[in-house]
Amino acid sequence: MTPAEALAAAADVIHRDALYLDERRWDEWLALYHDDAEFWVPAWRNENEPTADVESEISLVYLSSREQLAERVARVKGGRSPASSPLPRTAHAVSNLTATPGDGEREIAAQAVIATHIYDVRRRETHLFFGRAEFRLVRVGADWKIRRKKIVLMNDYLSTIVDFYTV
Amino acid sequence: MQPADIDALIDDRPQDGAFRVHADVFRRQDIFELEMKHIFEGGWVFVGFEFQIPNPHDFLTTRIGRQPVIVSRDANGQIHGLINSCRHRGAVVCEAISGNRKTHVCPYHAWAYDSAGRNITVPNEGEAAYTAEFARHDHGLRRVGRIESYRGFIFASLNPNVVPLAEHLGDTRVFFDLAVDQSPDGLELVPGTVTYTFDGNWKMQIENSADAYHFVPTHVSYLQILGRRKPSKPDDTRVSFRRTYLERDLERGSFTFPYGHNALWGANENPELRAIYVDRDKVEARVGAERFKWMLYTRNLLVFPNFQLLETSGLQVRINRPLAPNKTEITTYCVAPKGESKIARVRRLRQYEEFYNPSGLATPDDMAIFDACQTGQSSEWVDWHQGYLRGIGQMTRGANAAAKKLGVETETSVATTAAMGDETIFHSQYRAWRAMLKSALGASGNRPQLAGRAAE
Repeated sequence: MTPAEALAAAADVIHRDALYLDERRWDEWLALYHDDAEFWVPAWRNENEPTADVESEISLVYLSSREQLAERVARVKGGRSPASSPLPRTAHAVSNLTATPGDGEREIAAQAVIATHIYDVRRRETHLFFGRAEFRLVRVGADWKIRRKKIVLMNDYLSTIVDFYTV
Repeated sequence: MQPADIDALIDDRPQDGAFRVHADVFRRQDIFELEMKHIFEGGWVFVGFEFQIPNPHDFLTTRIGRQPVIVSRDANGQIHGLINSCRHRGAVVCEAISGNRKTHVCPYHAWAYDSAGRNITVPNEGEAAYTAEFARHDHGLRRVGRIESYRGFIFASLNPNVVPLAEHLGDTRVFFDLAVDQSPDGLELVPGTVTYTFDGNWKMQIENSADAYHFVPTHVSYLQILGRRKPSKPDDTRVSFRRTYLERDLERGSFTFPYGHNALWGANENPELRAIYVDRDKVEARVGAERFKWMLYTRNLLVFPNFQLLETSGLQVRINRPLAPNKTEITTYCVAPKGESKIARVRRLRQYEEFYNPSGLATPDDMAIFDACQTGQSSEWVDWHQGYLRGIGQMTRGANAAAKKLGVETETSVATTAAMGDETIFHSQYRAWRAMLKSALGASGNRPQLAGRAAE
C-alpha cells in the first residue's frame, strides 16, 4: 500500500464517519466500527497535557467496544433522554488529514483536525467543539474498519453536551 | 431590599405542613447578587484538597464566588488563602491552575510575593521617590478571612466572621470520614478534572443531587441501558442492572444538618459492582461491618452552598460556582482511595465516567432538565413551586434510628423508599439561605453579620 492509497482509504472512512453522524445514519455509522473499537475522548490533566492512561486517569468518554457505542446510539434513537431529544443539528468538519500505512496491508494510522459545529434547536444556540482526531483503521475482509478513534478536545470548558455525535 | 422581602420567597409554615419556594429565587438578578456577596463571598466554601498541594510552595488557584484566589502552602507547610490580585494595580498574579512556586511574580510590573503571600519585591523601590506614605501600607497579598481543613478538604471564607469550620460542618463530617477511611492512606485525586456549565440556577444542581424522585423519569434511558446489559462477570468494569432501583426492601433515607447541609443515602442495588467491593475484606476488617455497609451505600452529601461529596458510581467531589442567575459552572473531581487494586481503579473510572461525566449517560439529562426548568420559569406567571413537600408526613425532628446507628445528629431525618422521593431534604438548605440573606440585609453598614447561622 502506498502512502497515497492509505490516504485515500483513510479519507473515505473518516469522511463517512462524519457524514453518517451529521445525517443521523446511525446503523451505517456503527457499521464503520470494528467489534473491539475504542472510542476515546481524554480529559485534561492541566493546561498542556491531556490524560493519557485510561486505567489511571479520567477520560471524558472511554468506550472499548462497538457494543458500547451501540448503547449510546440506542439512547439517541430511543427518544427517552432529555439531553438528546430533540437532537442538535451537527456539521462535522474534518481537515488536515494525514495517513500512514502500517503493519503490511492491514493497518492505517491517520490524523486529522476536527471541528464540530452544533446547533441546539431548542435554545437556538450554536456551539463548536474542536480538536485533533487520531484514527487506527484495520482491514476486515474487503473493508476498512475503525479500530480506534481518539479525539483530543481542545475546548474542554464544556458549554454543551459532549457525546459521540457532538465531537 | 428588606429582610421581609426574603421571607416572602419561602412559604415555610411547619405548623400547617406547608413549604413552598418561589420561582424568583432561581431567576432574579438582585437575589443572585445577594447570594454571591453574602453566601459565596460571605461564608464557608470549598476551595481545594490538601493532597493537591502536599509539598512546601505547592499552590492551586480557584475562585471564591467571583474572586480569584491562590491556595498556597508556605515553606513551613502552612496553607494560606490569598487574594489573587496584585496590590499594585490588581492584576491576577498567578494564572497557572496549580504548581510549585516559591515566589509569585506579577506579570505586569513584577511585584513579587512569597508562598505565604508576603510582598518580597517592589522593583526599583529605591528609585521610586515614594514618600513615607507608601511604607505605611502592607504590600502583601490580601488574605481570605478564614481557611481551615477537615481531613484534607480545604474550605475558606472571605468573611472572617464565620463559625469555626468544625462547627459549620457538624456531623456531615461522618460522611467525609466514610470516604476518607476507605483507604488507610486516605484519598487521592485522579488526574482529569472536568469543568462544564449549564444554563440554570446553581440551586438546581444541589437540589437535583438530593432529589431521589427524579432519578427514574429523568434517567430512564440510562436505566434502560443498564437493564439491557448482560449480568456482569466478576472482572467487568461497568454496571449492569440485576436488581431494580425501585426495590422496596432497600434501606434509604435523608438527613438534614444545621447551616443548610443534607445527605441523601440508600443501600446500593449492586454493591458487588462497586470499586471498593474488590478490596472488601481488607476494608471491612479495618473499619468494621457497619461502617463498611455505609461505604457501599449510595451517599450524596451537600455542604451548603458549593460542595457535594457524592458516591453513586465512585466518589465525586462536585463544586458549583454561580455565574449568573441562569448560568452555573460545575467543576468535578474524581477522588479515590489511595492504594486500591488496579481492577478496582479501572472499575471506578469507567463507572464514574459513565454516570457523572457531562459526556456520560446520566449528567447530560440533568443538564437538559436544568435548562428546561430555567426556561420554563422565565416570567412572573410562574410563582410558587410545589416540589418541596414529598415525605413531610414521615419527617422526624432530629435523628431517627438510622442516624443514631450511624452516630450523627441531624436537624431532620426521613426513612424513605425510592418511590417516595423525599423533598423535605431541601428545607434546611432554604432556611440557611434565608437566614444568611436576612442577616446580611438586617446588618448595619456593608459588612455581613455572622455568616452561615441557621434560622432555628
